[in-house]
Amino acid sequence: MNNYNFPSLRINLLLIREMERLSICEHRSSGGLWGSRVVHTCSAPAIPAGRITALQAVDLWKNHFTERGVMEPDHSSLYIMAYLLGAKTVKSLEQEKLSEFLSPEKTEQMWKLCSRRLSRMPVQYVIEEWDFRDLTLKMRPPVFIPRPETEELVELMLNDLEMKPGTGIGADSQHTCLEVGCGSGAISLSLLKSLPQLKVTALDQSQDAVDLTRANTCNKLFLLNDRLQIHCLDVMKDAETVLSLCRHVSTLLLFFSYKIVFDHAALDGGKDGLKVIKQILTLAPQILSNHGRVYLEVDPRHPPLIQRWVEVNPKFRVCLFLFVRPRFCILRKEKSNKYHKLDLD
Amino acid sequence: MLATRSFRLRSFFVVHSGREWRTLEGHPGLKGVYPTQALHWTPVAPSRVYHRELGDLYKAESLQRHLQQLMEEFRDIDRKLQRAYVSESDRKELLMKRTELLPLATAFERSEQAAADLQEVLTLLQTSAGTKDEDEQLTQLLKEEEAHVSCKLSALRTDLVKALVPTDPLDSSNILLEVVSGRTTGGDICQQFTREMFDMYQGFASYKNWDFDLLNYTPAEYGGLHHAAVRIAGDNVYRHLKHEGGTHRVQRIPEVGLSSRMQRIHTGTMTVIILPQPVEFDVHVDPKDLRIDTFRSRGAGGQSVNTTDSAVRIVHLPTGITAECQQTRSQLQNRDTAMRVLKARLYQSMMGKDTEQRHTARKQQVGTRSQSERIRTYNFSQDRVTDHRTGYVTRDIKEFMRGGEALCDLIWDVLEHAEREALLEVVQSSRSLKPPESGQSAD
Repeated sequence: MNNYNFPSLRINLLLIREMERLSICEHRSSGGLWGSRVVHTCSAPAIPAGRITALQAVDLWKNHFTERGVMEPDHSSLYIMAYLLGAKTVKSLEQEKLSEFLSPEKTEQMWKLCSRRLSRMPVQYVIEEWDFRDLTLKMRPPVFIPRPETEELVELMLNDLEMKPGTGIGADSQHTCLEVGCGSGAISLSLLKSLPQLKVTALDQSQDAVDLTRANTCNKLFLLNDRLQIHCLDVMKDAETVLSLCRHVSTLLLFFSYKIVFDHAALDGGKDGLKVIKQILTLAPQILSNHGRVYLEVDPRHPPLIQRWVEVNPKFRVCLFLFVRPRFCILRKEKSNKYHKLDLD
Repeated sequence: MLATRSFRLRSFFVVHSGREWRTLEGHPGLKGVYPTQALHWTPVAPSRVYHRELGDLYKAESLQRHLQQLMEEFRDIDRKLQRAYVSESDRKELLMKRTELLPLATAFERSEQAAADLQEVLTLLQTSAGTKDEDEQLTQLLKEEEAHVSCKLSALRTDLVKALVPTDPLDSSNILLEVVSGRTTGGDICQQFTREMFDMYQGFASYKNWDFDLLNYTPAEYGGLHHAAVRIAGDNVYRHLKHEGGTHRVQRIPEVGLSSRMQRIHTGTMTVIILPQPVEFDVHVDPKDLRIDTFRSRGAGGQSVNTTDSAVRIVHLPTGITAECQQTRSQLQNRDTAMRVLKARLYQSMMGKDTEQRHTARKQQVGTRSQSERIRTYNFSQDRVTDHRTGYVTRDIKEFMRGGEALCDLIWDVLEHAEREALLEVVQSSRSLKPPESGQSAD
């Protein structure tokens, strides 16, 4: 690099880095990474004095994100701007709108939202919404954001439900599903939207998640007749309550989508994730009806461990798994409280 | 028989007010087919000339021969069906053929009937020619009746010819329309023009009450459009827009954009691609042949690696055809859209062989219109749009670019020209008793 040492410059750089590190720690200690909505204003660029167009604002922030090492700088500023202008993506906006000058309120909002993004808050939390399949859902920290791969899990479930002979989802069949760890309610709501006859019971050990799922049921016209029941329960501690919920209903599907954050303050996802999975598989035979299935989206390390555990455990006699993706596991229950193989084609 | 006094002028003579004159430039196909009756047909609204041209074909010997062949076949089928010992499968086949030929047969019978009527009236006129003045009123009525039946006969013969035009089985499909900007050495005239073309087609879709679903919109810098893709659904969309595919050329002195400073005429091009969109089950794609590229977050790294990149790209491995989409925030929806686009492209490449065969020897005489050849020029400085396949010229380019009636008229003209060409091909090349069957692969 350069040969000249500017001590003051270096100290400045160090100070800035230290401040950033401290501010991240600050966030952590206040209960979860994104528990508080502290706006990190000291490193944001100044709001311009004159008016700027939407495109200019997008470019400005994209450059700033790139400088500060924020991931996906172009997508971030584009999605935030689209949200501000009332659309989902910038592409669906007319060209003219983007070349128009932003009002002072909108400019201020843009700055506010982008500053949040600057502090590494995911875009979904910044704009407080995101799409999952054909739904738009509210997003709120600390509830987890649904991942694109999970959309595929829902598709698998729908394919299986529609193809099931004998136990088909027809006009007169009443089937229930149980979701463990519903988070924002993405999976449950997707299933309910696509299958008008389905009923779902959703659980989450976090009250925030339960509240958010409830919030996401507003304005959802397909949710008539209380098709979705939401409870704040921990499958590890409240096993009895969970079982009693499902006792009188024929439950066809149980799904669990594994998302434990890899933070130093949180659980070790690998080991503790497996604990939850084992608990679910222990309870599942009592919850599921015959030919019922368990769908798990887990850590890529889990499936072989799960298989071994289930095979070795004297309470179960399990056969094959169905690996559709490295992170998906599907098990089917047979008549006698056992899990059975699902043959690969 | 002596029908009403007032005979109704057929729409042949309707003059649309405010319409520009239409000029014919170099219309090779029409040589030798103009009948002498053309003299009392004043140049009128472009759409009506269609009837004249197609009706003229009636006189063509080859068409008459072809028509007779088909009618013979029809009668043959009827005879065969009446026999007792026709097998079940044969009967089905014959019935199908009969249904195909039925509209033609009906039109033929009607026109024959009208011809007979006309003959009757003419004989009556002749016999009353040498009578006294009292019968002048009768003569007058007869003359009116003759004119009326004449008109009717012409119309019916035109219908008959229309019934002979081979139909394209894809005509009723929805389409995938893509606009792609051309390249120039400098300035953004192509991109600006592409955006205007896109707006024009959007206007046309709304004029026709079609659904216009945006699949992809990639703007260029400075306000132009780089490329875009839409799905247009509605009645007979493919039939209307199939001839829009090709290279469109623009000539203008740009008012906006980078090139506007120089005040010189610039030329640019853009390409329109029309792909008929088949019904879903027509194109079967084996999932094993596809490679789907999406952004995957690695591992379970928690919330800090949540991606917003929902772009999907699908590659069909055997053919190498790709489709991509990043139109929505949901990866699955993008994937579904990309699949639809891919299927349309695959279908097009499958059908490509077929369309090749439809380009006949006759067309080769006129000059092949490959993708790289211009099909239409939009001259803004001279306020004129010229279609090079038919020679159709229209003015008021600003109105034209709105995608309303002006574009509709041009499309009709091109369509009729193409149908006429197709008919001529069928008629002149048919030697066997087989009726025209388009969409049949020669493999």
